[in-house]
Amino acid sequence: MTALGSTAAGSTPAGSTHAGSTAAAPSIELDTVSFAYPDGTRALSNVALRIEPGESVAIVGQNGSGKSTLVRHLNGLLRPTTGRVLLDGRDVRSTHVARLAGLVGLAFQNPDRQLFAGRVSAEVAFGPRNLGVRGPALEERVRAALEEVGLAAEASTNPYDLGYSRRKLLALASVLAMRTPVLVLDEPTTGQDARGVGLVRDVVSRAAGDGRTVIAISHDMRFVAESFRRVVVMREGRVVLEGPPEAVFGEAAWPELRAAYLEPPLPAVAGARLGLGATPTEAALVAALVAGN
Amino acid sequence: MSGETAVSGETAVSGEAAPRAGLVLAGVGYRYAGASAAALVSIDLRLEPGRVIGLAGANESGKSTLCLVVAGLAPGVIGGRLDGSVRVDGIETTAMRPHELAQRCGLLFQNAATQLSNTKATVFEEVAFGPCNLGLPVAEVVSRVWWALRMAGIEALAPRDPARLSGGQAQLVALASVLALRPGYLVLDEPTSELDPAGTRLVADALARIARETGAGILIVEHKTDVLARIADEVVVLERGAVALSGPAATVLADPRLVALGVEPPAAVRLERAVRVSGIEWPAALAEAIE
Amino acid sequence: MIQADEEALLPAYVRRIPTGGYRSLNPLTKLTLAAVAAIVAFGVRGWTGPAVVLVVVVSSALVAGVLRRMAPFALATLPLVASILLVNTFLYPNAHDVIAVFGPLAPTWTGATAALQATLRVVAFGLSAALFALTTPIDDLLGELERRHVGRRGSFVVGSALGAIPRTVDRAREVVDAQRSRGMDTEGRLWRRFRGLVPLIAPVLFGALAEVEERTMALEARAFTAPGRRTILRELPDSGWQRAVRWLLLVGSIAAVAVSLAGAVKLP
Repeated sequence: MTALGSTAAGSTPAGSTHAGSTAAAPSIELDTVSFAYPDGTRALSNVALRIEPGESVAIVGQNGSGKSTLVRHLNGLLRPTTGRVLLDGRDVRSTHVARLAGLVGLAFQNPDRQLFAGRVSAEVAFGPRNLGVRGPALEERVRAALEEVGLAAEASTNPYDLGYSRRKLLALASVLAMRTPVLVLDEPTTGQDARGVGLVRDVVSRAAGDGRTVIAISHDMRFVAESFRRVVVMREGRVVLEGPPEAVFGEAAWPELRAAYLEPPLPAVAGARLGLGATPTEAALVAALVAGN
Repeated sequence: MSGETAVSGETAVSGEAAPRAGLVLAGVGYRYAGASAAALVSIDLRLEPGRVIGLAGANESGKSTLCLVVAGLAPGVIGGRLDGSVRVDGIETTAMRPHELAQRCGLLFQNAATQLSNTKATVFEEVAFGPCNLGLPVAEVVSRVWWALRMAGIEALAPRDPARLSGGQAQLVALASVLALRPGYLVLDEPTSELDPAGTRLVADALARIARETGAGILIVEHKTDVLARIADEVVVLERGAVALSGPAATVLADPRLVALGVEPPAAVRLERAVRVSGIEWPAALAEAIE
Repeated sequence: MIQADEEALLPAYVRRIPTGGYRSLNPLTKLTLAAVAAIVAFGVRGWTGPAVVLVVVVSSALVAGVLRRMAPFALATLPLVASILLVNTFLYPNAHDVIAVFGPLAPTWTGATAALQATLRVVAFGLSAALFALTTPIDDLLGELERRHVGRRGSFVVGSALGAIPRTVDRAREVVDAQRSRGMDTEGRLWRRFRGLVPLIAPVLFGALAEVEERTMALEARAFTAPGRRTILRELPDSGWQRAVRWLLLVGSIAAVAVSLAGAVKLP
């Protein structure tokens, strides 16, 4: 694994997260985690990764590189074959998934794997209700979560009357309503139009602003570069590259990136060709151009 | 692969003998069975052989419905009410049976897994499924399969088990399966949305090759405008079931109204805009850098 | 172009001419054998039925070289076998030849014998089904049924559904994962409550329904409803004697059951 630069949030002390409606985020540590599926397929090999409270981390890599397997370890759905997953230093092996759900919210890639209720509001209430939230507090959470993904007007609609992209936003809301200190999103922007991508972007920045830890799997390099402070690149079950977007999308890392079948975002390529240094986002590129003028 | 020449020869003959009139939609409206509002409103569209039209628009703006209508599945298979006319090389789609239509206009969905038959042991047989349904002679089936596999760029996958492929590979097998019916036009509904960047590149490359080498006209729904910028000749943007923008790809993809219509412009367009907004000179070197 | 040339065009992995005794039988013959095995194993009384089936199936499996791969199928019958053994041994009605008394439990020889016999029937049937499944690709069976004009759509839908089982299992597993991630306790008592099942069953069901719709459209897009004969890439060998054997076996097995039920012949 190549660690690039210092990770931005790594230097942020946990105490600096301001008090929100959620509990303080735990630190997450994968201690040389390996995982093989029952049929023998090796999905993770010696993954060592520490995520501090309040960090925003994007996990990128080809399909089948182990991204989804990795995040399923964070809330105990999968248990490492060897190695340990620690939340605030405690092995998750000793905690029930139902208990961990209050700590780590995981939104799956395909909303149709979870939607069951006859009404949008009931679907969103399912998670927090499982966590013991009732009454006005529950209603408030449902309302706020639907508001956040732009579905406030659809509270009494049948989820299956919504199109795929809105069902996906609904699934996201159903996890947001659990107000977990750690939020994990599996490809949240796929199938979304410009407005949907904008909503997801806002969800991520709001959660990060609240001091929650946000971890997302994505193929959208622009989203990754703009919304996350740290990027983890996976290939064949290993973490092969990690660091802030400036480093991971910087010219020096391109060979490793391409070996993982990924391309840096356009502003990074343009910045490198113009000799402006690391400019992973449009804003960074424009700033570099302005500074150069 | 001795049959290949025969097949391409046959195409060339039919191509020259009867120039293809294109896939033409005139004043098309469509309403799903039981729906109160129309999903499509007076759409005019013309897809010429060998051209690629990109279809964009916000979610639920009618893109998928338009795909079903163009391929004749709506109203042919799922019912509903169609107004106006959809003609494929001069023949009204409503006048054709599904299997006839399948040979003129192929349809590919987002999810490759549901399009494969689930019963075939090899990719070769999976791709042969369509031609076999038509009852073609074995030699013709075989040459069509090799041709379709080559066009999709997956000849090497022929002996593989279709159930054990990556997402991108499975989508290419589904594409080859539709191609094997040798349709003059292809309609693709978000074929890359489930794919990673490498899979997306594979599919986009295959589509560009198919349009260039087979003369098929392609209509593709795609959120990733960077893909459209690479392969589309024209782009049509839908809004609430009607055409909001249409024209040459470069023009439409640079249109300032795109964002308001729910479509993310390509990276290069956004970059140029961001630089101009900042008030600094658009550096010529930058234009070169993002070529 | 003549037939032999056409066959030569097909790659070897498509021709896949099955070799060796049992494997080279026509899929319909194998299907008939499996059906006959079920009829005899469950229909012929005493030890003879299941024993004959077991001997035939195991030796066929040996010839076809799939005996070892049948182990999981045998294991799959375990829960049923265990319950048969327990229930019959300990609770056989009106049996008095008690083997030993353990408190309120009194296993009987009659019960134990009946249990063993029932077990043998289940295992014999399970293994014959396994033999069929392991040696016959779904596609081959569908092709044969179709050649005989057995409802093309019907047989395809069944075959396609069978092929989709692994994916349905994957989907169900993901649904369970998704709901557990939302705090649903599938490890505690909630699991037993009916309400707890809805969030697990509904997404699997909706997903399957949506898939059927998409599949129907995808089939249309591949000319599935074209009229007339389909091209069959591989003509599977069949012969007059196989046809004769199939009928003979079916009639014979039914006759054997009838004789056994009538008690005309004493069987061990």
